Amino acid sequence: MSKPVNEQNGFALSPEGAARVDKLIAQYPTKASALMPCIWVIMDEHGFVSEDGITYLTGKLDVTRARVHEVLSFYTMFRTEPQAEYTLQVCHNISCHIMGARPIIAHLEKRLGVRLGETTPDGKFAIEGVECLGACGLGPCLQLGKHLYEHLTPARIDELLESLRKGVVPRADTDRELQGKGEAS
Amino acid sequence: MAKLTIDGKEIEVPDGTSLFDACRDARGGEALPHFCYHPDLSVAGVCRLCQVEVEGMPKLTIACNTTVREGMVVHTRSEKVTRASTQILEMHLINHPVDCPICDQAGECGLQDQYMKYGLYDAEVEMDDKVNKGKAEVIGPYVILDQERCVLCSRCVRFCNEITGTGELGIFNRGDRAEIGTAPGTELDNNYSMNTVDICPVGALTSRDFRFQKRVWMLKAASSVCPGCATGCNVRIDHEAGKIYRLKPRYNPEVNGRWMCDKGRMTYKTVHADNRLGDPVAGGQPGTWAAVPGAVADLGAREGFALVVASPQQSLEEMYLLKALAAGSPVSGGLSDADRGEKDALLLDGDRTPNRRGLALLDIAQGDGTALAALINRATGTILIHGGDPAADPEVAAALDGKALVYIGTFDNATAALARVVLPGAMWAEKAGIFVNRDGRLQEFKQSVARHGNAREDWRILAELMAVCGREDAPGTLKAVRSELAVALGLETDLNRMPERGFVPGGDVR
Amino acid sequence: MTRSDYNILSSRFGRSDGHLLSVYQAEGGYKALRMALTMKPEEIRDVVKESGLRGRGGAGFPTGVKWGFVPQGSEEVYFFVNADESEPGTFKDRFCLDYDPHQTLEGTIISCFAVQAKLAFIYIRGEFGWLVDRCQAAVDEAYAAGFLGKNILGSGFDLDVIVHKGAGAYICGEETGLINSVVGVKGQPSIKPPFPAVSGFLGKPTIVNNVESVASVPWIINNGAEAYRKFGTEKSCGTKLWSVSGPVKNPGVYEVPLGIPFQEFFHEYLGGMVEGEELKAVIVGGSSVPVLPAAEIMSCNLDYESLQNAGTMLGSGGMIIIPKSSDMVELIQVLMHFYFDESCGQCTPCREGTGWLHKIVKKLRRGEGTADDIELLGHVCNGMAGLTICPLSDAAVMPMRSFIDKFRPEFEALIQETAPAEPVSRWPRGEQE
Repeated sequence: MSKPVNEQNGFALSPEGAARVDKLIAQYPTKASALMPCIWVIMDEHGFVSEDGITYLTGKLDVTRARVHEVLSFYTMFRTEPQAEYTLQVCHNISCHIMGARPIIAHLEKRLGVRLGETTPDGKFAIEGVECLGACGLGPCLQLGKHLYEHLTPARIDELLESLRKGVVPRADTDRELQGKGEAS
Repeated sequence: MAKLTIDGKEIEVPDGTSLFDACRDARGGEALPHFCYHPDLSVAGVCRLCQVEVEGMPKLTIACNTTVREGMVVHTRSEKVTRASTQILEMHLINHPVDCPICDQAGECGLQDQYMKYGLYDAEVEMDDKVNKGKAEVIGPYVILDQERCVLCSRCVRFCNEITGTGELGIFNRGDRAEIGTAPGTELDNNYSMNTVDICPVGALTSRDFRFQKRVWMLKAASSVCPGCATGCNVRIDHEAGKIYRLKPRYNPEVNGRWMCDKGRMTYKTVHADNRLGDPVAGGQPGTWAAVPGAVADLGAREGFALVVASPQQSLEEMYLLKALAAGSPVSGGLSDADRGEKDALLLDGDRTPNRRGLALLDIAQGDGTALAALINRATGTILIHGGDPAADPEVAAALDGKALVYIGTFDNATAALARVVLPGAMWAEKAGIFVNRDGRLQEFKQSVARHGNAREDWRILAELMAVCGREDAPGTLKAVRSELAVALGLETDLNRMPERGFVPGGDVR
Repeated sequence: MTRSDYNILSSRFGRSDGHLLSVYQAEGGYKALRMALTMKPEEIRDVVKESGLRGRGGAGFPTGVKWGFVPQGSEEVYFFVNADESEPGTFKDRFCLDYDPHQTLEGTIISCFAVQAKLAFIYIRGEFGWLVDRCQAAVDEAYAAGFLGKNILGSGFDLDVIVHKGAGAYICGEETGLINSVVGVKGQPSIKPPFPAVSGFLGKPTIVNNVESVASVPWIINNGAEAYRKFGTEKSCGTKLWSVSGPVKNPGVYEVPLGIPFQEFFHEYLGGMVEGEELKAVIVGGSSVPVLPAAEIMSCNLDYESLQNAGTMLGSGGMIIIPKSSDMVELIQVLMHFYFDESCGQCTPCREGTGWLHKIVKKLRRGEGTADDIELLGHVCNGMAGLTICPLSDAAVMPMRSFIDKFRPEFEALIQETAPAEPVSRWPRGEQE
């Protein structure tokens, strides 16, 4: 009854991504239950889910647009707009606050010239405040991509930014040196 | 069955009854305060208003999600419950905009009603701090949304998921940023969208058609039946000072439950259409009713009509009188292939007329354009067409051309154009009558607004025509017609005392 | 970081090889599974019931009893491992999955066998992206070794495990919120009844257990209920992973038996406060429990009953140490922002109440509050507690009420002063909220 605005023009997943989606649909008990992991496939590839991406999901999973939009708007990690190259998500919950999250945020704001919640004009950096990241005794901390940077100090922030400005993501604290396989990052 | 005590009163209800329903019964029909509960939708349990005290349970519990148990002792008006209702109601109000002066829902608003019962407190939150959301957003052809007024009861979302299965609506974001809406680029455009306006307890979803038209406490109500199709959804006509403002579904578990379709909802508009017939017309000239008998007689109808054509838009009583008027002459039910459309999965029938079954009940046969044209051609004398627009069919129009035609109708249409005498009749909302729906159910509709111009009740027009034809048995009241009709159909039910939900002859009588 | 005096759960914490199946097996891993598969499911349930193991996510409900709620003979049963760990102050499940994923996995398989579940989801919060990979690797190893899949170790028991990644919602840690998240709708809690053990995922019997609870199972199977009961107290059996944060000398994750006195834990394990800081208060069970001033916590033992008697709760064991240099009203604003952010928005008291509490506290801190506003905070709490679908509402109310209760003067001080010329805290001006 409802007609989506765009047809599936312009949205495409890599062959690997498309294969992942099909595998997930086969693995999960119902098509609808594969919604979250399929959204992650799109997020991993594009960094956000566009209207065309929503159309793709409604087609693959037999769910309504309203449902997909509900799920996208409910979770903080799902995005419907293109993101900055590096989004630095700093925990501002209680333990990190006690250990100095606010000065860390102020330092980031000073260094990047933008406020919390904003993106640098060149689209390279964004600073966000987030809730507890599960690194409370290791704080203050921030999330970048799949990993956390912990025990933050202004100096560590400067090191991180300097490396990112060169296009190199420095090794994160959660990216431990491991023996053997089983630690893909 | 289960016996339980509610507010000191012992009642017995079937096993599996919802405590919400049991409480309503025990309280003489007064339901617990609620927004999200709806008898035709799944239980959501989100408004938290229907809390009751059940002895033995540590906390208050919501009645809508509780099943009765033998021996339950329930309190719905204790201090603990009343305090909770007041507090929870306050939570509904803190971000609610004070739109009452401009909100269509005023007068039939769940928040207003609850507030008068459980509220009456001073506002504690400042206007500046209120959460702001979208106002006056058109979300479909018939529905407009005010997200600020929404109490997020989720009835509309559940309706679109569970009743129509179309799923256009969702609740986006979380916390107090949550808001009802359609996914970007989509509309609420299913054929039942206006039922969401009915079930929205506040002024969040309102009718675009009704917007700013009339304050609801000024409206009068009349019980009627939708003429849009053969389902015959029961409706309530809301009107004032001769104008109809809206239709609402009337609950009938045997026919339409609590719903009706948008197409049917809009049928009232034609009552006030520009091309309504308001005065009798003879020989192309508008005239008076006084002149009608003469005009009809001049056409040669004193010996009766050579052919009489009924229509499935007529009431059962009118069809009966028409048939009586015909005496021995042929009676046609009009075009069998006119007024047809697509049936849907819910209420909308493919037969877009309210009383085709009535024709069948009175053994009045329909035919296609060719058949009707043939009947017309064979007719030597005056033809009477009552209702519908058979001349819309080119074969019928050709046959009628030049014939002595009397037309009883409501619109200035093709058939009216060909008639020598045009008699303005009443539309369904302007008269009383009985329709027979697709299941053979006889249902009564009552008059709401006064008739347009000088239009007359059709049964009265037919009675007058009977007099013109020199008949002694022309009825004097609609009551008399119904009595005769009941006898003619061999019905046990007194048609002057129609059951509220109609009845199926030989079937269950309510 | 941790002391391995007690190593039911933490024996491989801190190592760089503990995640490997080869290492886990060499150190006795999957022995419990072999043994469990020779037992009857009800026997396993009895052992876990006997052990007194209680849900370690926060609710503290006896694990074996919860398993028993699954109706006998259920054909389709689902199991969810709750690794959504988002309770502020809590980071112990992360350690389990990071350092010893196979222990949690082995516990999962045994638990599934105990309730006859054929499909298990390990739901990991989205922010633990690296752990999703870690667990998937462990699951892959387990399949290869025949510990997962069809006819596990020839027992006739089939089990599949799916590692499911969350996407940033604290409320998905509530068990029905978790289930709904996987169903593919928003992760909002469901009304109860029906309870998940009877009707959960896809309307089927479903058990949701915390990581730490499940990770405790292999040791219990290997050593028996009696041995587990030797640790802890009568009602609080076994060991607990405490997540400690704040300005103590040794923050981190600790495994200690339940019942250890806080005083001993604080001095012997945490090393007391860092130089220049003094203990002011402790939130002992993750942020959603009442705060205790220093004097009160010093006389408590770290077990369920003692903490309850003191007016708080053990919760998730996320211990947040608050120093004298902290401003309590500033801290409660941080917490109220959290619940405002995370409320799913379904039911009115929580949706509107969490927003309202945050606004009033902010107003107080701006120096615009009145004495009525402190009363208003209590009034809003009354309209939230005990009236909602899930306990998030109560989770916001408990810290809010207790902060006013125990530190009222700090709230009142904000009223009596005019708006301060200098910012009250270290927060820069013009910050996001």
